[in-house]
Amino acid sequence: MTGASSGAGHPALETRALSLSFGGLKAVSEFSLAVPVGGLCGLIGPNGAGKTTVFNLLTGVYRPDEGEVLLGGVRVDGRKPSYIARCGMARTFQNIRLFGELSVLDNVMTAGGVRTRSGLFRTLLRTPLHVAEERALAERALALLDVLGIAHRRDEQAKSLPYGDQRRLEIARALATEPRVLLLDEPVAGMNTQEKRAMRALIQSLREQFGVSILLIEHDMGLVMEICEQITVIDHGVTIARGAPAQIQNDPAVIEAYLGVPDDAAAAAGPEGAA
Amino acid sequence: MSDRAGKTLSERVGALRPNPVVNTGLSLAPFVVAFALAMVVDTVVGPLVGATWTEILLDVGIAILLAGSLNVVNGYAGQFSLGHAGFMLLGGYAAAWLTFYGSMKFFGTWEPVGGFLGSGQLLFLGGCMLGGLVAAVFGVVVGLPSLRLRGDYLAIVTLGFGEIARVLGQITARQPKNVEQVAERSWWDLADNLGGAEGFSQIPNYTRLFFVYLFVFILLILAYRLKYSSKGRALLAVRENEIAAEAMGIDTTRAKVSAFVMSAFFAGIGGALYAHRVGVLKPTELGFQKSIDLVIIVVIGGMGSITGVVLGAAILVILPELFREFSEYRMIAYALALVAVMLLRPQGIMGVKELWETSWWRKGVARLRGGKRGGA
Repeated sequence: MTGASSGAGHPALETRALSLSFGGLKAVSEFSLAVPVGGLCGLIGPNGAGKTTVFNLLTGVYRPDEGEVLLGGVRVDGRKPSYIARCGMARTFQNIRLFGELSVLDNVMTAGGVRTRSGLFRTLLRTPLHVAEERALAERALALLDVLGIAHRRDEQAKSLPYGDQRRLEIARALATEPRVLLLDEPVAGMNTQEKRAMRALIQSLREQFGVSILLIEHDMGLVMEICEQITVIDHGVTIARGAPAQIQNDPAVIEAYLGVPDDAAAAAGPEGAA
Repeated sequence: MSDRAGKTLSERVGALRPNPVVNTGLSLAPFVVAFALAMVVDTVVGPLVGATWTEILLDVGIAILLAGSLNVVNGYAGQFSLGHAGFMLLGGYAAAWLTFYGSMKFFGTWEPVGGFLGSGQLLFLGGCMLGGLVAAVFGVVVGLPSLRLRGDYLAIVTLGFGEIARVLGQITARQPKNVEQVAERSWWDLADNLGGAEGFSQIPNYTRLFFVYLFVFILLILAYRLKYSSKGRALLAVRENEIAAEAMGIDTTRAKVSAFVMSAFFAGIGGALYAHRVGVLKPTELGFQKSIDLVIIVVIGGMGSITGVVLGAAILVILPELFREFSEYRMIAYALALVAVMLLRPQGIMGVKELWETSWWRKGVARLRGGKRGGA
C-alpha cells in the first residue's frame, strides 16, 4: 500500500536527512523521502511548515546544510537549479512564475529548448539540425498544450490567461523539459470544484502518459487523500508522519498539527495520542 | 496529436530534418541579399540623397549597429548594461591600430588606398573583425564576473568598465606619425601607442555606406534568428523571470554571458566603423554619455524589438539634425521629445513587439489582401 519499496533499481527521487537553517531558524530538519518510479506522493503540512522550502532544496534553489538529494540514484544536491532541471527534475511554482510577456506557446517552447543540442552558431546559421529541433519543439509544445487543454490560447500572452489556465501552463512548461520527476506546488490552489476535478484527472493521467513520478504539495486534503499513494506530513520543518492516506487521516500528531489541541482536551487526548 | 506529447524531442528531430540543399540556400540567402542591399544603399541611395543625407545615413547605420547590439543584452536578456561605449572604444582602438599602422607599414601612407574591396578596404575589414573580436574577448572578461549580479549592481559594474576603458585610452602613449618611425617598430611595440587623451588620429576614412549597412543587415539577420530560436527565447525567459528560467534548465549565467559577448562583438565593429568615419578616436567622446545615448535608443525604440531599435536609432539621430536651425534650443527640443515618448509610450515606440506583430500592421496586410481579392 505504501509503495515506498522501490523494488529493483533506485527510487525516482530520494532524499536523505536533508537539513537547512536560516540563521538560527531550522527551516527543514532531517527530511527523508522516497518517491518510487511512477509513484505519486504528497507532501502536506500547515502554513509555514517548510513545504516549499523542501521543493527549493530539491530543485537546487537552496543548498542543504546537510543531507543528500538523489535523482534516479545520482546525487544532485549542491548543483545549480538548471543542472538539476536538465537531470530530469521539473517543478511548478506556488506563486505562478510564467514568462509573462511571452506567448503561451513560447513559454512551453522555451522550456523544451533545454533539450536541444544546437548552440549559438548553429542557431545563427540555421543548420538543418537547428531547423529540425525548432520544428520538433513547436510540434511538441502544441501537443503538450493540447493535453493540458489550453491549445486554443497558444498565441495569447501568458500573463493575460485566467488563473486556472496559468496553472495549467505551468504544468505544460514543466513537462516540456522532459522530466522524470515532476514537483507540483499547490496545483489546485484558488480553483473551484469543477476545475479541481479536472486537474485531479489530469495529474493522474500525467503519470502514464509521460512516465513521470510526481511529488505534490497541496492544501486541498480531499485531493491529496484521493490521489496520493503515500503522504509525508511536516510541521516546523520536522517530519511528523508518513504513510498511506488512511493512516495519515487518523494520525493524532497530524490532527494536532493542523487543528491544535484544545487546552481542556489536551490532558484527555494525551494518553491516546501517546499510544 | 496527443501521442506526440509523450515523445521526447530527440525522437522527433530525425523525422523533421529539412532538405539539406534547400536549407543551406535558406540559411545563406539573407546574407547574399544583405550584400546586394548594402551595394544598393551605397551606389543608388547615397548619390540620390546627396552628401548631407549620406552623412546622416552613416550616423544612423552606426547607431543601429550599436543600439541593435545593445538590444541583445538590454532588450532580450533584460540586463541593464551601461558600458556599451566601452566596447565600442576598444573595438575602435583595435581596428584603428591595425589600419593606421598597417597602412603606414604596407602602403607608406595613412590615407585610404585601393578601390572597392581593394587592399586598403580589405585591411579595414580585417580591422573591423579584429575590433569585434577584441571587444568580444573583453565581453567575456567583463561578463563572467558581473553578470551574476542583477539590476542596479550590474549597471554600476558595467558603468565602471566603460569608465576604465575610457581612462585606459587616455593614458596610452603618443602616436608616431611618420612612416620611418612606424616601420622600425614591431606591431606589439605599437600596441600601446593609441594617442592618449588627444585621441588616435589620422585613421583612414574607409567607412562608407556599403560597409556600415553590410554590418547593419548582418546584425539584423542574426538578431532576428536569435530572437526566434531556443537560445533567444532562453534570453527572453531570463528577462521575464530568472528563477523560473533557471528552474526550467536554462543556465542563466551562461545565457547572459553569451548574449553579452555577441553584443560586445557588434559594438566593437560599430566602434571600428565609427573610428574610420570620424578619423579621430577620442576616448572622451566614447564615455558614459555615449553609453547613455545608446540605452536611450533601445528604451525609446522598445526593449527587445529589432524593428523598434531601428526606428529609435533613425529618429534619435535624425531629430537633432532636423532641429539644427533652432541652434541651442535643439537639445531642449530633443529632451522634450524624449520626455513625451516616455509619458505617452513608456514601453517604447514598438514595445516588445516587432513591426509585423503589431495589430495595425496585421490589419493593413489583411486590408491589402482583401483589396486584391476584391479586384480579382
